[in-house]
Amino acid sequence: MGCDTSKYAAVPLAEKLRLFEQVKADERFSHGLYGCYECGVCVAVCPSARFYDFSPRWIAQALAREDADLVYKFMNEDVWDCSQCFSCDKCPRGNSPGGLITILREVAVRNGLKSAKDALEGYGRIIYKILSTGTQVAPDMLQPNAFPDWGPHVKEISENLEWWRRALPPETLHTTETSWEVSEQTLRELYLIWYASGVMEMIKEVDEGLHMILTDVMEEKLEEAGFALDATAQD
Amino acid sequence: MSSGRVLIIGGGPAGIEAARGLADLGVPVTIVESRDRLGGMPIAAHYATLTPSLEDAEQAMARMLAPLLGNPAVELRLGAAVSGFAGAAGDFELSVARNGSQESVRAGAIIVATGFQHFDPGRETQMYGYYEFDDVITLPESEKMLKEHSFVRPSDGRLPERVAFIQCVGSRDRQIGNEFCSKVCCGVASKQAIEIRQQLPEAKVFIFYIDMRMYGYWENRIYWPAQEQYKVNYIRGIVAEVLKKGDRLVIRGEDTTLGRPMEIAVDVVVLSVGMEPSQGTREMARLLGLRQNKYGYIETEGVPLATVLTSVEGVFAAGACTGPADLEDSVSMGGAAALKAAALVRKKALAAGATG
Repeated sequence: MGCDTSKYAAVPLAEKLRLFEQVKADERFSHGLYGCYECGVCVAVCPSARFYDFSPRWIAQALAREDADLVYKFMNEDVWDCSQCFSCDKCPRGNSPGGLITILREVAVRNGLKSAKDALEGYGRIIYKILSTGTQVAPDMLQPNAFPDWGPHVKEISENLEWWRRALPPETLHTTETSWEVSEQTLRELYLIWYASGVMEMIKEVDEGLHMILTDVMEEKLEEAGFALDATAQD
Repeated sequence: MSSGRVLIIGGGPAGIEAARGLADLGVPVTIVESRDRLGGMPIAAHYATLTPSLEDAEQAMARMLAPLLGNPAVELRLGAAVSGFAGAAGDFELSVARNGSQESVRAGAIIVATGFQHFDPGRETQMYGYYEFDDVITLPESEKMLKEHSFVRPSDGRLPERVAFIQCVGSRDRQIGNEFCSKVCCGVASKQAIEIRQQLPEAKVFIFYIDMRMYGYWENRIYWPAQEQYKVNYIRGIVAEVLKKGDRLVIRGEDTTLGRPMEIAVDVVVLSVGMEPSQGTREMARLLGLRQNKYGYIETEGVPLATVLTSVEGVFAAGACTGPADLEDSVSMGGAAALKAAALVRKKALAAGATG
């Protein structure tokens, strides 16, 4: 809750500082944090702040003060309450609490923090879809047991999915396994981006099983096109 | 009879600017200054640099003073005080005391520019242990150390690792009776914080504040660089007390941003003391019969569209004798007072010529 860091008192300060150094070393860091007026506009526009004990201002403050205890607490809890909508970019000083949270999350994932694993646990299927097909949540994920909160008609729609999709005017949406048609070349380029930007390493850190399945899919497609994946991964 | 001379009481930034303006207009001027040197508080209180330019205070004041020195229109009386006052606008007669002797000076108009004094944190209460702990100091004391490039813990001469400024000491405080904002302390503390970080890059600097009042360009020239470039820690919340713990000080307050009580160990606490009317301001107001406000400052009439008129015709006031003022305010008021005084002596001289 709030800014109480006592829960993490047993974690050595050196470990907290090590993670904080990684945050500061991110080249986006200095563009996300200038100075804070405490004006509260980031909290005022934040959708998450309405529902959770969450404040983008605290995040910016903790980082500005270089309070490694607090940063560690936020990295383990609060950053997962953010919806990454970047409304907080409204900041008059040009801070981006949402951008800082992106960095904090990435450091949490890269270091395999338990909070990152827990937070991403429910998203395995979505991560798989996005990374393997290059599109967002696909229509065939519309299953009543997976997403009951999508309303009373999910069952009916999911049973006749193909018909519903064909009713949509753009032909590129006549798909059920992906949100829209993705060309082979786009897919290959996306795979190369996932590898080159370190996304695959992050996946490995939080979910090794998922990483293995994804690697199989990707390697096959890339090798067909003549890319040697081991070399790509090291670039 | 009327006198074409203007008497300026106080040789600080406001008085100097008034004298410069009058001399430029060809109006003879007498400056009465109680200290042995012109330059006012920036010189007397050993300011390192001016806010917000961060220019060396000695050099800046020397440049400002240069046109007065050896100027035939300017008569200087240093180490002197006005001790008697009679007459009316256009023809005042003043006694000036110096070295135990009294001299009479006639003047058509008077400009009071007697300035302020820094709030004494020990005056009302033992605020923040100012008289108790050597390492609790005030803005002018910090300024002096910065000027000497020797910002240390006064108790043992060691370099501080952590320095905390506490804002609004003696300002905005109903308990103390100074309900006004002293206007400059936010900027001066931030300026000093930058200088501490420049001189001691390893030191951590905190500023505890109610709200930062960095109007106009002080915002981007002082506040933002302090926070963004020099990593000064601004924490909203006023410190309640300063305690001694071992050989360090502990400050206690509420961190209102994070909504929790805070306790931080520091080496030096700098109290950002505000302004009060100087002894000279109080004395001159009494002697000249000028209306004062409840804080003892000289009340200016017609604010906001007049800035230098007092309750006595022919007597003008400029600078921090009228209330908290920064250097820009003071110098601008000095110029405005010069204009009013010059116009008045000219009008009286013309009237005397017409009737005489």
